[in-house]
Amino acid sequence: MARRSGPMPRSTGKALGVWLQSQATRVRAPLTAAVGVGAVDGLLIIGQAGLLALIINAVAIEGHGLRTVWPWLWWLLGVFAARAIAAALIETTAFEAAARVKLAIRTELYAHIQALGPGWARGQRSGDLTNTLVDGVEALEKYYAAYLPQMRLALFVPIAILIVVAPTDWVSGLIMLITAPLIPLFMIIIGKGAEQLNQRQWRRLARMSAHFFDAIEGLTTLKLFNASRREAEVVAHMADDYRTSTMAVLRVAFLSSLILEFLASLSIAMIAVYIGFRLYDGEMLFLPGLFVLLLAPEFYKPLRNMGTQYHARMEAIGAAEQIVDIFNTRAAENKPEGSAVLDNTKPLEVVFEDVGFAYHIDQPVLEHINFTLEHGQRIALVGASGAGKTTLSQLLLGFISPSRGLIRVNGVDLREVANTVWLEKVAWLPQRPTLFHGSVLDNIRLGTPDADIAAVRQAATLANAATFIDALTAGYDTPLGDRGQGLSGGEIQRIALARAFLKDAELVVLDEASASLDPDAERLITESIERLARDRAMLVIAHRLDTVRRADRILVLDQGRIVEQGDHETLLAAGGRYADMLGLYRSTPT
Amino acid sequence: MKELLRLLQLFRPYWRAMLAGIGLSAAVVLTNVALLAVSGWFITAMALAGLGMGTINYFTPAAGIRALAIIRAVGRYGERLVTHDATLHGLAELRGWFYQHLEPLAPARLQFYRGGDLLSRIRADIDTLDNFYLRVLAPSVAAAFSVLLMTAFITLYSGPVALINLAGLLAAGLVLPLWAQWLGNAPGERAVSRRADLRAAVADSVRGLGELEVYQASARQAATIDRLGAELIAPQRQQARIDGLSSALSGLASRLTLWLALLVVIPLVASQQLGGADLAMIAFFVLAGFEGVAALPLAFQSLGETFAAARRIFEIVDAEPMVTDPSHEADLPAKFDIEFKQLRMRYAPDGGWALDGIDLKVAAGARVAIVGPTGSGKTSLFNVLLRFWGYQEGSLDLGGQPLTGFSGETVRSWCAVVAQQTHLFNASVRDNLLLACPDASQDALIAALRQACVYDEIAALPQGLDTLVGEIGARLSGGQARRVAIARALLKDAPILLLDEPTEGLDVTSEQAVLQALEALMIGRTTLLVTHRPQALRYVDHVVVLGRGRVLEQGKPAALLQGGQYLPSYASIN
Repeated sequence: MARRSGPMPRSTGKALGVWLQSQATRVRAPLTAAVGVGAVDGLLIIGQAGLLALIINAVAIEGHGLRTVWPWLWWLLGVFAARAIAAALIETTAFEAAARVKLAIRTELYAHIQALGPGWARGQRSGDLTNTLVDGVEALEKYYAAYLPQMRLALFVPIAILIVVAPTDWVSGLIMLITAPLIPLFMIIIGKGAEQLNQRQWRRLARMSAHFFDAIEGLTTLKLFNASRREAEVVAHMADDYRTSTMAVLRVAFLSSLILEFLASLSIAMIAVYIGFRLYDGEMLFLPGLFVLLLAPEFYKPLRNMGTQYHARMEAIGAAEQIVDIFNTRAAENKPEGSAVLDNTKPLEVVFEDVGFAYHIDQPVLEHINFTLEHGQRIALVGASGAGKTTLSQLLLGFISPSRGLIRVNGVDLREVANTVWLEKVAWLPQRPTLFHGSVLDNIRLGTPDADIAAVRQAATLANAATFIDALTAGYDTPLGDRGQGLSGGEIQRIALARAFLKDAELVVLDEASASLDPDAERLITESIERLARDRAMLVIAHRLDTVRRADRILVLDQGRIVEQGDHETLLAAGGRYADMLGLYRSTPT
Repeated sequence: MKELLRLLQLFRPYWRAMLAGIGLSAAVVLTNVALLAVSGWFITAMALAGLGMGTINYFTPAAGIRALAIIRAVGRYGERLVTHDATLHGLAELRGWFYQHLEPLAPARLQFYRGGDLLSRIRADIDTLDNFYLRVLAPSVAAAFSVLLMTAFITLYSGPVALINLAGLLAAGLVLPLWAQWLGNAPGERAVSRRADLRAAVADSVRGLGELEVYQASARQAATIDRLGAELIAPQRQQARIDGLSSALSGLASRLTLWLALLVVIPLVASQQLGGADLAMIAFFVLAGFEGVAALPLAFQSLGETFAAARRIFEIVDAEPMVTDPSHEADLPAKFDIEFKQLRMRYAPDGGWALDGIDLKVAAGARVAIVGPTGSGKTSLFNVLLRFWGYQEGSLDLGGQPLTGFSGETVRSWCAVVAQQTHLFNASVRDNLLLACPDASQDALIAALRQACVYDEIAALPQGLDTLVGEIGARLSGGQARRVAIARALLKDAPILLLDEPTEGLDVTSEQAVLQALEALMIGRTTLLVTHRPQALRYVDHVVVLGRGRVLEQGKPAALLQGGQYLPSYASIN
């Protein structure tokens, strides 16, 4: 999970707590069952204390032997068995609740990410999204499996004990009644004071940790400057500083546990001493006295455990923050699902008419883009990173819609066409194509899951991929793992090319890989792209000299505008921006 | 076990604090047991005295009960302080130790651990070891100690009860947790591997969101994620059941112990071998005693993680450095020309050659560009030159003397490096610059920044040179960071300049500024420039194209760009 940059404000924490609570309504039944079983266990605790008191009273005071107390002992055994069953049931039912919440949230979260679309995802770190979907959702488990049921029981069990104790011995009941609310109260008061200190400490820990790992990460740089040994002292010094300051904070922070223990232990002691003296004076019977003393530690136990549960809540809130962030993101302008039909008889013609795009109104990414892409034509986009090449290709793919102007496909405004209809005609090869979990075969027929093997083979052959696929251990059935494990960059690209050949789309959008491959792989891919370009329209985001030379037309983008267009020879002869980019001509040699 | 001893060895300077913490935690448990046992004994004895069946001096136990309550509360506070102080001492020690051992190994040895993300693994492992004392050592030693004392105490009343109690404690504290852990191994491993599957599928789906949409496979992928999520639940459910069962059985063990103890003690009371108050005392004692082993399941769980973390950390630390320095340093060279002769190097004895017979001569003060695809040997060339790695065949001379005649530190003092992955530390701009030259004056720093064409931008930052950069402070843009690194290299004033893709990923304006800054830096220095940018080639006299560790072609930049066989397809224009 991405580390949070610091503690969040209280209000945010509270809002996230409310969100977590609201998700519990999905699993009211198993959660209630878990709490119900816990409540039964609470009653069994009282029964256990009663039976023990009866047995000890009979033996110690009334002088009976084993024979008399046998029935109670058997009952006691029954209670023990029942408590064991309850303990197992609580944990398993609460887990079911947590499991259902996790599954539902993950499904909805991924659906939401799909709805936000690739245009949005491009601006996110994909690693962070993955972590939120996997680890973030998993981190919610303890909240529903432990925190929620335990917190409800922390209320029920002490109250049930109090109801039994108060009529038996009102003084002990009073001691419990007074001290119990004091425990959370003091914890809150001290907790609030400690929280500020804690936040400062949290930042200090983050800084110390960051420094240490920064030094490790930058070890090569430190060595380059022969400064790595100097740094060792700094590392030791910082850790020691951190220790001193942390201890100052902990001295305060642990006060809450001091108070907690103090109240709980002292209350038990007071109850014991008080009962003892009344027994001595004959003001009370032994049986109720012992019964109350047996229940006293059970009364404080759930309150003592609250601290551990609190941790589960904090963890869940940390995870919920990222999840809720994504849920709260709305798609910028959801494109209305258009109903226009494309004329499939005419050859494809795409026209950009004065297209502009901006994420924020005052920062246009693209402005006044005009060009036409026809069937059989290959257009190369060049320009520095940030010039708008990717945004332009995303507009063409329908991931985002123009803020100004319009894109016409065979005369129809692309906005009027449903994405599913338009993308039927399109194949896309991103810079680093994604191979999905599954076999080579599954991956090639990603768009057409029912394509037959002969068609897949043909596509692979056209993509210059057939030879290496046949050489794989299981051929087309070879499973591809995480990011196409075992395949080289060039092989992954050729599988993506096969995917495009199989789709046989009218328009191909190709984002050329910027990392170059070894000469042989490069040749195989270039050859296959040449084949793919034939008899289609193609838009290439080009990175290499070789590629642009082959384009019919080159659009040179600079800061969101087309500054030059033409073919390689023309642009080179013009001696403008394009020629400058190629670095071939320079008036003053250095 | 070996790891355990080494870990203990590491924490040895703080053994007093650690022992004190362990003593305190045992004391806290024992006072709680005593509090309840004495209370039970007290009320029974008082009741018996009240009924005229005995006498009692009630002052001592009554005061004792109150004292125990206070000792317990204060002891708990002290325990937490002492154990945390010991932990923090250990943490400081551990980090210092780890850094010192890692330093000689970087970067060569660390390269081999790239499998997982080395850094995040080290981070997690060090965090785990930080908690070794608090989570594993202190609770288990304290538990062992308390169990022994409790057993000894009950023996005074009844040997059989002491044995029953010991058996119960062992069952709840040792046998059941270990049994649950053993049962949980298989589902645990399944959960880990299914979670990895889910992660891989999710990562693909998020990365390939656009491809799924274009190829209209989004719904199918969502169903796959749902299925993998559900498959992950199955082993987790098994684990939850095992956990539920083991905690139910632990509870049952503690209560059965009480039950059996009652069976033994009741006849003893009936036959007056033990008093009635002793029965109550033993009942409370047994019930409360199980708190002493409550922390053990968690300790056992962490134990495995701790050993695994320790093993990995020790494995890293125990590696031999890749390059050994000569015992006698050769004389300082008069000029800094570089000559590779049929140089071959590989990273592993059974690996392929990363450099496969390189012949390259760079005259002192010359500027040479190196171009080639990923894996062609560009970075290896620098690694060899910087004495980060050794080489197996051929020779590499610096100023006419074999490079191996100099120590790594000496060689690196002659080289200024601007790398693609320039690391700026989480510190001020000033501190980052001072790294190159700890006693540079303010004027020298400003001059270097100016020369690197970045001074105006740094001066415009709210805190100027004292602005924090990196993860914690304000982020500099990629171009600014690169130019700060160039300023740092300028401050170093070394005769050899190694530039590894210094303009990669920069926009046009930044690239121009960086190249201009570099131009100033190159004057009078022997320069090797790794790049795939045609713009950068304007600044060099000679270009070498590498492929698979060999020189594919070389010559004047303009000529090769126009008519070369390889350079045009490797020169990236954007």
